[in-house]
Amino acid sequence: MKPAPFDYARPTSVAEACQVLADAGGGATVIAGGQTLMPLLNLRMSQPFILVDINGIAGLKGVSRADGAIRIGPATRQADALKDATLAQHLPALVTALGHVGHYQTRNRGTVGGSVALGEPAAEMPAAAVALGATIEITSVRGTRSVKAEEFYLGPYMTVLEPDELVTGISYPEWPEGHTVLFREVAQRTGDFALVGMVGALALEAGAIARAGIGWFGMGPTPIRARQAERALVGKALGEIDVQAVAELAVADTAPFDDHHASAEYRRTVGRRIFARTLRETLDIRSAA
Amino acid sequence: MSEHKIDLTVNGHRHSATVEARTSLGEFLREGLGYTGTHLACEHGVCGACTVRVDGVAMRSCLMLAVQANGCAITTVEGLAKPDGTLHRVQQALKDNFGLQCGFCTPGVAITLATVLEDNPSATTSEMEEAMSGHICRCTGYQGIRRAIRQLAGEPA
Amino acid sequence: MNYHASSVGATRYVGERTPRKEDGRLLTGRGQFTDDVQLPGMLHIAFVRSPVARGRIASINLDVAREMPGVQAIYTQDDLAAIPVQMMSFFFTPIESPVTLLADGRVACVGDPVCMVIAESRAQAEDAAALVELEIEEEAPVVTIADARTGPLVHPDKDDNIAAEMGDEDMLEEAIQPLLDKAPHVVTHTIRHQRIAQSPMECRACVASPEGSGEMTVWMGCQSPHLAARYVALVMGLPQESIRVIAKDVGGGFGLKNIPWREEVAVVVAARLFGRPLKWIEDRYEALTASSHAREQEVSLTIGLDDEGKLLAGWSDYACNNGAWPMGEDANIAVHMFMWPAYKLPAYGFVTRGWYTNTMGLGGYRGPWAMESLIRETTLDKAARKMGIDPVELRRKNLIYLPDQPVTSNMGIEVTDITPGECLEKLVANVDIAAFRKEQAEARKQGRYLGMGIATYIEPTGSAGAMAPMTGETVQLRIEPTGKVVAMLSTHSQGHGTATTMAQVIAEQLGVAYEDISVFEGDSAIGAFSPGAAGSRQGVIAGGATWKATEILAEKVKAVAAHLSNAPVDAVTIDGGMVHVEGAPEMSRSLKELAEIAYGEPARLPEGMASGLEAQFRYQPPPMTMTSAAHCCVVEVDAETGFVKILRWISSEDCGTVINPGVVEGQIAGGLAQAIGQVLLEDMPYDARGNPLAATFKDYLMPTISDVPDFEYLHANTPSQTIGGMRGVGEGGAIIGPPTLVNAIADALAPFGELGGETGEVTLPLTPSRILDVIEQRDVSGHHAPAEKTVAAPVAEEAPAEPVAEAPAPAPALAAASIDGDWDMTLKAPMGGQTFLAHFETDGTALSGYLSAPEGQQDFSGGTFEDGRMKFEVKVDKPMKVTLKYDLQASGDTITGKCKMGMFGTAKVNAVRA
Repeated sequence: MKPAPFDYARPTSVAEACQVLADAGGGATVIAGGQTLMPLLNLRMSQPFILVDINGIAGLKGVSRADGAIRIGPATRQADALKDATLAQHLPALVTALGHVGHYQTRNRGTVGGSVALGEPAAEMPAAAVALGATIEITSVRGTRSVKAEEFYLGPYMTVLEPDELVTGISYPEWPEGHTVLFREVAQRTGDFALVGMVGALALEAGAIARAGIGWFGMGPTPIRARQAERALVGKALGEIDVQAVAELAVADTAPFDDHHASAEYRRTVGRRIFARTLRETLDIRSAA
Repeated sequence: MSEHKIDLTVNGHRHSATVEARTSLGEFLREGLGYTGTHLACEHGVCGACTVRVDGVAMRSCLMLAVQANGCAITTVEGLAKPDGTLHRVQQALKDNFGLQCGFCTPGVAITLATVLEDNPSATTSEMEEAMSGHICRCTGYQGIRRAIRQLAGEPA
Repeated sequence: MNYHASSVGATRYVGERTPRKEDGRLLTGRGQFTDDVQLPGMLHIAFVRSPVARGRIASINLDVAREMPGVQAIYTQDDLAAIPVQMMSFFFTPIESPVTLLADGRVACVGDPVCMVIAESRAQAEDAAALVELEIEEEAPVVTIADARTGPLVHPDKDDNIAAEMGDEDMLEEAIQPLLDKAPHVVTHTIRHQRIAQSPMECRACVASPEGSGEMTVWMGCQSPHLAARYVALVMGLPQESIRVIAKDVGGGFGLKNIPWREEVAVVVAARLFGRPLKWIEDRYEALTASSHAREQEVSLTIGLDDEGKLLAGWSDYACNNGAWPMGEDANIAVHMFMWPAYKLPAYGFVTRGWYTNTMGLGGYRGPWAMESLIRETTLDKAARKMGIDPVELRRKNLIYLPDQPVTSNMGIEVTDITPGECLEKLVANVDIAAFRKEQAEARKQGRYLGMGIATYIEPTGSAGAMAPMTGETVQLRIEPTGKVVAMLSTHSQGHGTATTMAQVIAEQLGVAYEDISVFEGDSAIGAFSPGAAGSRQGVIAGGATWKATEILAEKVKAVAAHLSNAPVDAVTIDGGMVHVEGAPEMSRSLKELAEIAYGEPARLPEGMASGLEAQFRYQPPPMTMTSAAHCCVVEVDAETGFVKILRWISSEDCGTVINPGVVEGQIAGGLAQAIGQVLLEDMPYDARGNPLAATFKDYLMPTISDVPDFEYLHANTPSQTIGGMRGVGEGGAIIGPPTLVNAIADALAPFGELGGETGEVTLPLTPSRILDVIEQRDVSGHHAPAEKTVAAPVAEEAPAEPVAEAPAPAPALAAASIDGDWDMTLKAPMGGQTFLAHFETDGTALSGYLSAPEGQQDFSGGTFEDGRMKFEVKVDKPMKVTLKYDLQASGDTITGKCKMGMFGTAKVNAVRA
């Protein structure tokens, strides 16, 4: 299980990286942590001509907060993001989800951007980006563009990224102080991709839900935002929410599939339940508070 | 295909080599440098047998290229015991508790637990077990490994 | 006799949790696994494998691949055929499928090796392998057992897809059904066991280094270097001594590495052809998709019980998917042999079949007959629930306890010292079942579903003398002139810790320090023939051999010391490496001093005594040694998600003398973890086109630390009849684990309904989806929907499916033809085909003669011969006492028919004129 041969470049700036990508004419692949890419290379499921290693680009690492958004450099290690004080304070939903990404050893090398950019539909990071309304900053020699996470994913491991493009940042809009985290993952073993999972946040104002962002993973070909459920929640006072009905709406937006680990019907059934339970527990706590 | 000159240290020893871009760190440690204690058992990042410490951090050596280890300090299982042969306390705990049978997954397990304890000498059993969930052992049913973890956390095994 | 009492030394080692001798090197990265071997000039191999499940190879184009950098050679079967090979089973019988090392004109499964690329590195070999152009005319494959019953022939030269078949269908109507009809309670249960990938952490591996003289050294991941050497030599028609196999460290075997298989033998053949050292290291993708798999069985069991719960009769129908190229065609007769010896069941019958399909062939896996315990114990629990009897009580009414013995099972197996009942009593005494039931009832009120499962079983271990290659063990032992002890053993550890346990036996029996003993094993140049780790035998047989060899050596030490001290032998003791003479402390000598005299000053030895301090013993134990156990586990099922959490697991086992509890418990635990994997996680499914669907460890779910609870152990120690009193313990956890866990889950789900639903079929693994099927009483998993069987393949010019050939109608008997004389006869027996010479003599309608094979000759008389129909009986003693009843039809120069083989069921017989 050895990769097909490839060239290797380790640019030190975004401009240099973009130039290598452009010159490769579609034959380049970006490697950050490599925790998802390397298995694909080893299995020869991915056979780039050149691998562009972005770990040497200093500006692509780290977390910053400005202009009402939290920005994460794509080459930020998952383990570093887990320990980041800014994220802990302002994006607790992302941190909760990060704790479920892979294992200790893979989080030590895997990056937030790598996971977001690859688009495994049962992974936590893409769903968190979709749920929290993140914007993905994409750079190439042609310039820089921003794409909403919700529009970034096209299918399993398929995104709007063009072959010459590089993810250079993920910006999560700030959520109000004291917002509530929604997270539940059903996976067969610790660290596995989810059979079904949900991640999101609720912001409350004066006893009513002011803002909701909820995403599914493992419930379709891409991470899926539970739009109908969000709409049903926003503006409602905590006491008047029909949890079961909202859960139905949440599942209505999904398109789960059968595989040998679980059926689509299982995913829908359990998805509905974990959604309802997570929401109910959250509302109970907030109501009691 | 490209070849790259790299310099790195392994268990405190300096090495220079020219590596093919596609060569994984694990394969390079084994084939290129003879550190055959690092075992490749799945080469797709699930089993954990190939775990080594890179600049103080435990990671899968099958999911990292040798060329990416340029300038890094690596610790493999061969580097855990003291030069006089005294076992690292993780190795000793595994031995005391029948924490290995065939020994193929053991190098990665030892590196992970040693690194968790390096970062936090008073790591709890649940922290060590959580890190251990990134390893597959087919022989022991994890019983001896769990007892070793308890011993390392200062609990009754 | 209980040898345990006769320890020489005062210091106890047997029974101690002595740290393992193996651990020093394995913990520090200094083990020597096959991939660690580097030889000058060594080249690397990658196999080109079939991407389709079934078809004819139209062409193989190697032109581009041959030009790739580093490529030295690419072989196809045409090249390897220069050295003829007849693959054999573990029992050294020829494989019946037309298996070749590489595909020969046709492919029969995805992963079938077609070419081997030899290059300077593995990566280069893979580069070239990717460029081999294979053109295969794909045909619709036979994937499932159901496909095999009706589909085209997997092997076109065979009559049908039945790989192996035993049992007596007529017995159901004649003997069993009448009993079931009379039984007040009849329970039927069906289990579909998924396909398992054995998945040792070290994949298969082979390095073959040809030496100029025609000899070869082979490093191989195996379970016995001796068996591997003999196997390779046998299949290649070479003298065994010409092959030396070294396997210092092997990263797990679990039955997969019982015998070398196609790839390992191909590496050896290619090394001979190419004349340079070759290395093949199987990668995980190959290991999951193209190593021999295990299990995949469908079994139904029907039992009848009286109103008290006593068993009256049983009938079982078993089928096993053998794949295309099994490591020996197998109908798994052992399932039936070992289903009932621990129980009082008056009448049992079965049919059992192995089926060829276009999937990867089946090999061994820890407890290959484990289905007997799974189907029996789950059926008993189902009966208990149906009848409202406590599962423990149901077992008490039927289990065999020590006072019931000796007793012979319904299939002729005599048990004399099994303790399943005693293990159960010990278990029950240590688990407060009443308190659990209370807790369970309370929990149910809160919507929490707890379940307790109990299972009992016995296991045949340490088998020897009944069938090749299961035999005894040789131990060579010496005290070096330095006073240190060296043991040369034929044992092999893929984690078993045999160097540790054997050194413990030596230390205790010889009175030397454990640290002063070195054990050498893992090399066919050391020791004598043995199958190594197979059938839970090493602790029993090598343990006994070591025990006795050490006694012999101790006797010599004492004789020398007594002679030197002019004291009686009885007055000499050895302890702590010192030899003492009772009442003469000044005569104490170290073993080193004594050894120096024994080696260097033979004149001081008793007259006629050989110099040196050496001993050798080959132990041939009783044919079989039984281990017993009862296990209990407690689970909680999350009704919301269908997840199972194991809360507690208690093992109560009797493996006789325990040499090292750490090692014994390690074996039990490892088997239980595999059992948990089988019940909850692991699965190697195939799609309708014959593609294996779990090609990585992301999809093949191995149990991790969070999936396995702490195990608790209760040891009973009823010494066996062997020297040392050990009983085997290598496979038990994997046998008793599945029914214990399934029973616990079924108990937890009882408020919702029976596991397996209305159809009564339980399909493993019990995924969360399948658990929800029971909880919700609807088809959540989609498992019960009719399987969509569409072959969407761009099937090139689909070949017409060969019809399953009708069994040839018996030709009209040629009464006039004489059958007198010699015939070459083949019996399709459970361990593979057996071929022997049959000699017949007729006198009117009287028939007599003999059957002759290299192992011996059996005469018979009293048979009949009428109108070409031949009936006669032959009594044999091996592997069991059984009367073979032949019923044959002669027709010209051929004879066909069947042979009823008692508990082995019925075998097909063919003969032609010799």
